[in-house]
Amino acid sequence: MIVAERKPIDEIIGFVQDCKKILLVGCNECVTVCYAGGKKEVGILSSALKMAFSKEGKNLDVKEATLERQCDPEYVQQLSEYYDQYDAIVSMACGVGVQELAMRYLNKQVFPALNTNFMGASQGQGIWEERCQGCGECVLGRTGGICPIARCAKSLLNGPCGGSMNGKCEISKEVDCAWQLIIDRLTGLKQMHMLEEIFPVKDWSPAGHGGPRRMVREDLKS
Amino acid sequence: MVKDKTGAIMVVGGGIGGIQAALDLADSGFYVYLVEKSSSIGGKMSQLDKTFPTNDCSMCIMSPKLVECGKHLNIEILTLSEIESVTGEEGNFHVRLIQHPRYIDIDKCIACGTCAEKCPKKVADEYNTKLIKRKAAYIRYPQAVPLKYLIDKKNCIYFRKDKKCRACEKFCPAEAVDFDQKEREITIDVGAIILASGFQPYNPAISDSYQYGRSPNVVTSLEFERILSASGPYQGHLVRPSDEREPKKIAWLQCVGSRNTRIGDKGYCSAVCCTYAIKQAIVAKEHSAIPLDTAIFYIDIRTHGKDFEKFFNRAREEIGVRFEKSRINSILPAHDEENLEITYLNGEGKVVREEFDMVVLSVGIDIPKESIDLAQKMGVELNHYNFVSTGYFDPLRTTRPGIFVCGAFQGPRDIPETVTQASGSAAAASSLLSEQRHTLTKEKEYPEEMDITGKAPRIGIFVCHCGTNIGGVVDVPKVTEYASKLPNVVVAEENLFTCSQDTQVKIKESIHERQLNRVVVASCSVRTHEPLFQDTIREAGLNPYLLSMANIRDQDSWVHRSNKDSATEKAKDLVRMAVAGASKLSPLYRTKLPVTKRGLIVGGGIAGMTAALNIAGQGFEVILVEIEKELGGFAGNIRTTLQGDNVRQYLAGLIEVVKHNEKIEVLTETSVAGFSGTKGNFKTVLGVGASMHHREVTHGALIIATGATEYRPKEYLYGEHESVRTQVELEGMLLTEGEKIKGWKDVVMIQCVGSRNNSNPNCSRICCQQAVKNAIAVKEINPDVNVFILHRDIRTYGFAEDFYRQARQMGIHFLRYKEHEDPIVEKAEGKIHVTFKDLTLGREITIESDQVVLGTGVVAGDTEDLANVLKVPLTSERFFLEAHVKLRPVDTQSDGIFVCGMAHGPKTIDESISQALAASARACRLLSQDYIEVGGIVARVDPELCASCLICVRACPYEVPFINNDGVSEIDISKCQGCGICASECPAKAIDLSHFEDMQILTQIDALLEAS
Repeated sequence: MIVAERKPIDEIIGFVQDCKKILLVGCNECVTVCYAGGKKEVGILSSALKMAFSKEGKNLDVKEATLERQCDPEYVQQLSEYYDQYDAIVSMACGVGVQELAMRYLNKQVFPALNTNFMGASQGQGIWEERCQGCGECVLGRTGGICPIARCAKSLLNGPCGGSMNGKCEISKEVDCAWQLIIDRLTGLKQMHMLEEIFPVKDWSPAGHGGPRRMVREDLKS
Repeated sequence: MVKDKTGAIMVVGGGIGGIQAALDLADSGFYVYLVEKSSSIGGKMSQLDKTFPTNDCSMCIMSPKLVECGKHLNIEILTLSEIESVTGEEGNFHVRLIQHPRYIDIDKCIACGTCAEKCPKKVADEYNTKLIKRKAAYIRYPQAVPLKYLIDKKNCIYFRKDKKCRACEKFCPAEAVDFDQKEREITIDVGAIILASGFQPYNPAISDSYQYGRSPNVVTSLEFERILSASGPYQGHLVRPSDEREPKKIAWLQCVGSRNTRIGDKGYCSAVCCTYAIKQAIVAKEHSAIPLDTAIFYIDIRTHGKDFEKFFNRAREEIGVRFEKSRINSILPAHDEENLEITYLNGEGKVVREEFDMVVLSVGIDIPKESIDLAQKMGVELNHYNFVSTGYFDPLRTTRPGIFVCGAFQGPRDIPETVTQASGSAAAASSLLSEQRHTLTKEKEYPEEMDITGKAPRIGIFVCHCGTNIGGVVDVPKVTEYASKLPNVVVAEENLFTCSQDTQVKIKESIHERQLNRVVVASCSVRTHEPLFQDTIREAGLNPYLLSMANIRDQDSWVHRSNKDSATEKAKDLVRMAVAGASKLSPLYRTKLPVTKRGLIVGGGIAGMTAALNIAGQGFEVILVEIEKELGGFAGNIRTTLQGDNVRQYLAGLIEVVKHNEKIEVLTETSVAGFSGTKGNFKTVLGVGASMHHREVTHGALIIATGATEYRPKEYLYGEHESVRTQVELEGMLLTEGEKIKGWKDVVMIQCVGSRNNSNPNCSRICCQQAVKNAIAVKEINPDVNVFILHRDIRTYGFAEDFYRQARQMGIHFLRYKEHEDPIVEKAEGKIHVTFKDLTLGREITIESDQVVLGTGVVAGDTEDLANVLKVPLTSERFFLEAHVKLRPVDTQSDGIFVCGMAHGPKTIDESISQALAASARACRLLSQDYIEVGGIVARVDPELCASCLICVRACPYEVPFINNDGVSEIDISKCQGCGICASECPAKAIDLSHFEDMQILTQIDALLEAS
């Protein structure tokens, strides 16, 4: 899932300080699951903003809405009936959702309430870790199911660097060395021979280094 | 014609043991008379501050049980009552009781406390161990059940001085005082009796060497509990009695009155004092504002209970409690006459004189004279220490058939063991009277509920004065007047005591006359009084969930005594919130599910078989599953008990009886492959026989009795040298290889092998007894042999101490080695050299031994798979974890699943038998119901809103929510405990807890904020 976290409240207040009425939009997908922008978080942010405004002697009217997904136009369309009554829209979705709202409602300012962090997995209540960078050319089949692109600080493809110490990465004692994990797992699977084949220089163009990515599936297009 | 047995049971003693036995019996279809000598139930546990090893507040965990007992329809509490005689026989006893007068009419007393307030006579308060005074009109403690005052005739001025005074009578608003009450003789017929009369703390005044009674700063451990307690004489401030100043140094002296054969002392170990001293030292340090030095003087630290060793380790390693191995026999007053001086030998063998501000005597468990007389009146035999005499394999049955025993009157024991035995004795008594189940019990009937759908709220509010508790601070008439004007309120009344019997009648009349469909009571806490008012409105035909309470006492008058005007305003706010909330209440219903009246027991050792036989004896079918080819379990390796009972013979007999019992189906070579359902209705898939073919069985309850195994040592040349064996292996030799043993000259036994170390921090409990037993047996076969037992502490708790003493008298050598300085075992020609550092000599000693015997610990079996299948948690040592270490010792966190025997933790055979019976009692309590009720306050998921985020699945402490086939969270209402954690965590706001819905709570908050 996409993992995000809420921006500091002052930054959000800064966006809307001149507004009287805002539309605050949550998303019922990834950001709900990572406790950043679901219906509950929308309610909490709404209250926080209203309190902050009333402390300043001002009034803020907040309309709360949580869409099933902000990354699909059909759901985004659901705001069309009333969005115009508000001075601005604040999105509690990932960066994708913010942009979808901005593109659909051109005459309104749309502000992000979250910082979108990474694609990752839940490691227990309240803990998430990055697992994928969307490089467009998956190597997991050869690395024991552990991604050296996302999980090695240098995205190395042919074994660890000299900064691997006691299974940890030199950038932090909290971070596992991805290559240690890969080697441990392949050893356990008796598949170490897979590493004998050298990875050639990686083509990073599908990873976004070749410009914004777009995908068209002719078989699905209507 | 044989007379039918009586379906009622008498429980003698209202401490925690008696309470548990009474509840288990009453919930299983028997009418219970709970006889208590004092004015209220609660016993010793009610006087404790905290309980080890979790340091939970004693009263907090106990008071729900007190309340439950007090309001149970099928428990009749007879306070101030003593047994005079017991005639008749098993199944049909006639018990003659004397009930002493209370001088206060229990039906009229509203517990307002006016009598005590007005009473001019002050006397020492026994509940607070005489550290402070109470009045002659009093209750033992604020949470007492029954919550009814009494007059202490011995001290009352009216009785002592020619009928003068009568202040209580004059001021009592309920006219409850009755000086003419007389002693009453009552005769009750019961089918069985359970003795649960408990213990008294040893009285150290017998000995003059402890300064007890001479120095106020020498206190007993029970007195110290009161000093620590928030409801005690110093409101929980740790001060010493002489000057009420905080002590800087406190000493605990262990074994006061225990482990001693001198006159007046007891030869047994009281089994609880080591752990309670550790608890008190930890709690004292927590209470102390200044750094407090705590020293515990001991002979052996006996923390043999489940997880107690970790508690001990935490005390010395993390919290800094000092442990000095030195028995103290006398204390001297220090020069300032307030401090006390103790002389002892320290770890280096030096004599040390140390001054302490305070000394706590860790007094042992003693049997009061009244209990000895009681046993005599009942015709029950006592042992040489005046505890009830029972057979090893039938530990809860007294010598008189039909009379059972539990708790400290059977032997020194702690709370969980007492609770276990209490449930166990209930099982034994139930099995005796199973045909009489439900013959004498009462069932409450309620009128049909009014349908309130579509009706506008009509709220009645009842504001309580609570005597002067509320009325003395809050202007109740003003609050009532205010309440009458709130929206939807049609009746607003004030009552002196809303909880009194006559007010209940008034509430019901109002419901009928004014067609009320919601009721608000502004009084005290839902915790204590919600069930009462719910019951009242239910009797008037309202759904019990249409009640709302405003706590204007605990949360208002009690905390704002000095500010009456603001307190009145706050009461108005609380009332306004409760009224607003009430208008949003909706009826909730509970549904009935039939119970499958069959038990499943996993594990066919002594525990499993005992439980199976008892369940069968209580009239239910049982399936007994054993993974091995034969029944018997670990006990098959044991020859005799420490006490000399023949285990093999007992086991063989037990197996025969189980195999031939018609109600028990035995499945050997069988294991659990799958499990589903909820309490009352489980489905288990069994892999049966060598072919492991699957068979599905349905049952209402499950008992885990999978036992444990012996630790297989990797140390001390075990497996490398033929003369190194375990105690269990030695026991096997005793029968068959006596000649070989006769040839031994020196035998070394090493204790704590595989226990009390980093990989297994707990004490295995049984190995010390095992070593003493085998050492005596070896010595009996070969009197000339030298037996050396190398140990860290000898833990022969309870009566096992007798055998430790016997072993020493026989010349068996007990030598101590230190933690982390394990003995070294080396091969030598024809011998084994065992080298260790002797703590008395302070130097290394090598014993050339013929034989080394290892006291290997107990380790859990392969419990993980079963725990996963059943979704029952394990401890970190992989024993099954009970629902509550003190008060639910055989329940697991999953309703309907129970645990007993070594699967729960190391224990002796008699302890396993008690626990097996307890598990059976808890299981049969469920199986004896025709239906279980589910629902009421439970969480519900709106599948439309659910984001399947798994947060509820992870957050639920009971593992109830799951993602169903539709990909959304689902909560089974029969499992939901209504805690509301999922509802508060759900990020999509898809979960609501009924009765605490967001809308209901927000309405109250809005009402609060819209304000005056």
